[in-house]
Amino acid sequence: MDLGEDVSSLFGKRSKTSSNSTVNRSRTKGTEEAPTVFNQKKCNAWFRQYSTPSSPDTIGPEGVEMFCRDLNVEPENIALLVLSWKMGAKQMGYFTLQEWLLGLTDLQCDSLAKLQAKLNYLHSLLLDSSHFKSIYRYAFDFSRDKDQRSLDIETAKAMLGLLLGRQWSLLNSFFQFLDQSRYRVLNKDQWCNVLEFSRAVDVDLKNYDVDGAWPVMLDEFVEWLKVNRGESNIQ
Amino acid sequence: MRIRAFPMTMDERYVENIWSLLKNAIQEIQKKNNSGLSFEELYRNAYTMVLHKHGERLYNGLREVVTHHLESKVRQDVLASLNNNFLQILNQAWNDHQTSMVMIRDILMYMDRVYVQQNNVDNVYNLGLIIFRDQVVRYGGIRDHLRHILLEMVVRERKGEVADKLSVRAACQMLMVLGIDSRAVYEEDFERPFLSQSAEFYRSESQRFLGENSASVYIKKVEARINEESERAKHYLDESTEQRIVAVVEEELIQKHMKTIVEMENSGVVHMLKCQKTDDLHCMYKLLGRVADGLRTMASCVSAHLREEGKALVNVDESGANALNFVQSLLDLKDRYDTFLGKSFVNDPIFKKMISSDFEYFLNLNLKSPEYLSLFIDDKLKKGVKGMTEQDIELVLDKTMVLFRFLQEKDIFERYYKQHLAKRLLLNKSVSDDSEKNMISKLKTECGCQFTSKLEGMFKDMSISNMLMEDFKNHIQTSGTSLYGVDLSVRVLTTGFWPTQSSATCTLPLAPRNAFEVFRRFYLAKHSGRQLTLQPALGSADLSAIFYGPRREESETKEKADGPSSSTPTSASANGPRKHIISVSTYQMCILMLFNTRDRLTYEDIMNETDVPKKDLDRALQSLAMGKPTQRVLVKSPKGKDILPSSIFAVNDSFTSKLHRVKIQTVAAKGESEPERKETRSKVDEDRKHEIEAAIVRIMKARKTMQHNLLVSEVTEQLKSRFLPSPVIIKKRIEGLIEREYLARTPEDRKVYTYVA
Repeated sequence: MDLGEDVSSLFGKRSKTSSNSTVNRSRTKGTEEAPTVFNQKKCNAWFRQYSTPSSPDTIGPEGVEMFCRDLNVEPENIALLVLSWKMGAKQMGYFTLQEWLLGLTDLQCDSLAKLQAKLNYLHSLLLDSSHFKSIYRYAFDFSRDKDQRSLDIETAKAMLGLLLGRQWSLLNSFFQFLDQSRYRVLNKDQWCNVLEFSRAVDVDLKNYDVDGAWPVMLDEFVEWLKVNRGESNIQ
Repeated sequence: MRIRAFPMTMDERYVENIWSLLKNAIQEIQKKNNSGLSFEELYRNAYTMVLHKHGERLYNGLREVVTHHLESKVRQDVLASLNNNFLQILNQAWNDHQTSMVMIRDILMYMDRVYVQQNNVDNVYNLGLIIFRDQVVRYGGIRDHLRHILLEMVVRERKGEVADKLSVRAACQMLMVLGIDSRAVYEEDFERPFLSQSAEFYRSESQRFLGENSASVYIKKVEARINEESERAKHYLDESTEQRIVAVVEEELIQKHMKTIVEMENSGVVHMLKCQKTDDLHCMYKLLGRVADGLRTMASCVSAHLREEGKALVNVDESGANALNFVQSLLDLKDRYDTFLGKSFVNDPIFKKMISSDFEYFLNLNLKSPEYLSLFIDDKLKKGVKGMTEQDIELVLDKTMVLFRFLQEKDIFERYYKQHLAKRLLLNKSVSDDSEKNMISKLKTECGCQFTSKLEGMFKDMSISNMLMEDFKNHIQTSGTSLYGVDLSVRVLTTGFWPTQSSATCTLPLAPRNAFEVFRRFYLAKHSGRQLTLQPALGSADLSAIFYGPRREESETKEKADGPSSSTPTSASANGPRKHIISVSTYQMCILMLFNTRDRLTYEDIMNETDVPKKDLDRALQSLAMGKPTQRVLVKSPKGKDILPSSIFAVNDSFTSKLHRVKIQTVAAKGESEPERKETRSKVDEDRKHEIEAAIVRIMKARKTMQHNLLVSEVTEQLKSRFLPSPVIIKKRIEGLIEREYLARTPEDRKVYTYVA
């Protein structure tokens, strides 16, 4: 499964342009800059490179795309999600000036070079369990349609792949389960519990507690999995 | 007078003399030659010996003499009689021994009091017992033979032969005494072998009995044996054996074969239940009550059979199902088992509980039970219940309430009860208001006010409607408004109280439609702000009809037999137009009025012009055209069972009825049709969702936080008087409430919820 495609297509959807982006074009100088103290004005100006005159305080999807290219980072790279989280960005594909300043001030970056240097740091945040949980939860609100309470299932799968793809071996099974089920959306409670489930329940499902107040969807997943593995007698 | 000091020392010779004297005396006593002896002299001599500290010598000497006698004389005699009057000889020896020991003890009483006490040895009498025991009774050959003879006696008696019971008794008593302060001798020498032989005996007897007999005969035989053993123990063995031997019999004859007895083909519990053998069941109950788990074994057999019987009654298929028979058969079943409970099982709580849980089990197997129960009650509350007095009805309704208690889905019952009550009230079919209210108070006791408050609202609507009609009639008279020739009667129902109807309307004929508008204006003038919606499904109409055709042909025999009865009081001559009043439903009125302007109509025509929903239209037409001949106001062509869109309907000009007023019966209410039932079910499921959520919110609001499992069980507990929600459904509702932010999981523990204010 090509997760990269899915996530980038989401960004693509938002921007209504097809993304044939390669990661080569760099708009700004590739020159190294001498390390300087964080300058808010500079950060501001940097923002304006990506916003449009018609909406000067918001970077839209095209701007975000350009930003990613300049940063030398694929839009589906999880670092971008972490960055958005740092900014508290409300909507995937958009950065407001406020969010931009908030996040980048925290990171002390006012230029591409500085930010590029911080990319590893952003990745490292994912290794901390409670940061990860926070980022994971944030991802739900970030990626959902703002006039819906729940997250549509395709987006959910893409985000889950991005976040849990490397650390939860049952993810693929879970996707198969969802495909054959009637679920078309995931609500917040289900979303959060998927993370808990991936952390708490073993691959062999032996420590799955039926009375564990898991959402019904996960109970069904376990049942389905057991049947599929030939471990269950229930038809 | 000088008091001489008592000589404190005695020389050996003197002692020896005293001892010889005593020894001789003892021997004489043992030989039963005591008559020549002087008690006083012997006592004094013994006293002297002990006083001078020769008690030990006396004691040992006593022991020697007694032993010698028993060994050389008594034992030999007994041994000699081994095959000849053994028991008598032994008993005689025993009696003699006792007698002589008493005398010997009397002589040596001072020794008993002083020497024995001081030296903590056995007293004279007991010493004698011990020696008798060891030297005679427990002497190898005698011991074995004694046991053998006693056991043989028992065997003989069991076979029904005569045995020397008195000797047996004497021997047993002897053994008991020989134990001194315990029953050990009796136990070891007799009782233990007796019990084990008895066990053997009954083991084989049980096989024989079981092979030969039916359960009830077996039980009686067992009881007889128990009594026999009991008697034997009480009178001829030792009383303390009774309990033990009875336990052996119970073990061998009952405990080991409980299942066999209970499950015996053609004579066990099932057979007894089928053939109403209350007495046999009672005997078995008493018998099995003797052993641990006996009653449980019997109860589970009864339970299994009851469940089968119940399941058979309950699993009637769709076509055969008749609500009244269904419920009546269950009531009959309950009566039968209540009789068993009372007469055979003496109201034992184990059986009582089991019967209740069995009824609960199979009653709820059929999902239509709530509906059927309501139909049954409906039938009893309608006018025209045949052959039952008020008290009979009261009794039946009480019994029906017992079944009601077993229902798990009481909310479904409530829904149907409301529907049926509505029909009864609106169609004026109740036998009496009192009996209706009576039933409601029974339900109130079971279900609480929530259930009955709406029902009471229905009654109120009825009485208000009556008053309203009075006012309306006055209004019409005083204002002289025309009602278009319709004698209108309206009942106004408050929406919340009455069962929700599908709001299907139909096209009313002009006259009733206009008449109703008059009423509507009248009512809304009184109560502005309200809305009135006509409910055609619940209405009825009386139509005046004239039939111009020739009379319907009656069968020949009937014509001959009751000639005069063929004329009705108000009809004209045999071939003239006949007037009748036809009582029909509103839908049927819409249909029939069409024929005032048209001779024939197709099904499709009727449907288009009346707008009656298909299902109701079919029912209405069936009753009008395909019922009994005395009901057939319309004719359908082509003839046949099916109603097709192309079927043609026309007035039955030959319609004939003995009665002036003809009530068109609606096709029998078999309960709901499948789609109706599905609709009811889905409404019930919707309501349940709300009830579950309300319960969850109620509980969480009060407790603020609660663990998942606890919450689920609280909710179940709160709702169990209405229905049994499954934990999965409750969980789904919890998730729904989380999504709508009424609840949240606590961050520390996802299994604990908090109430979100």
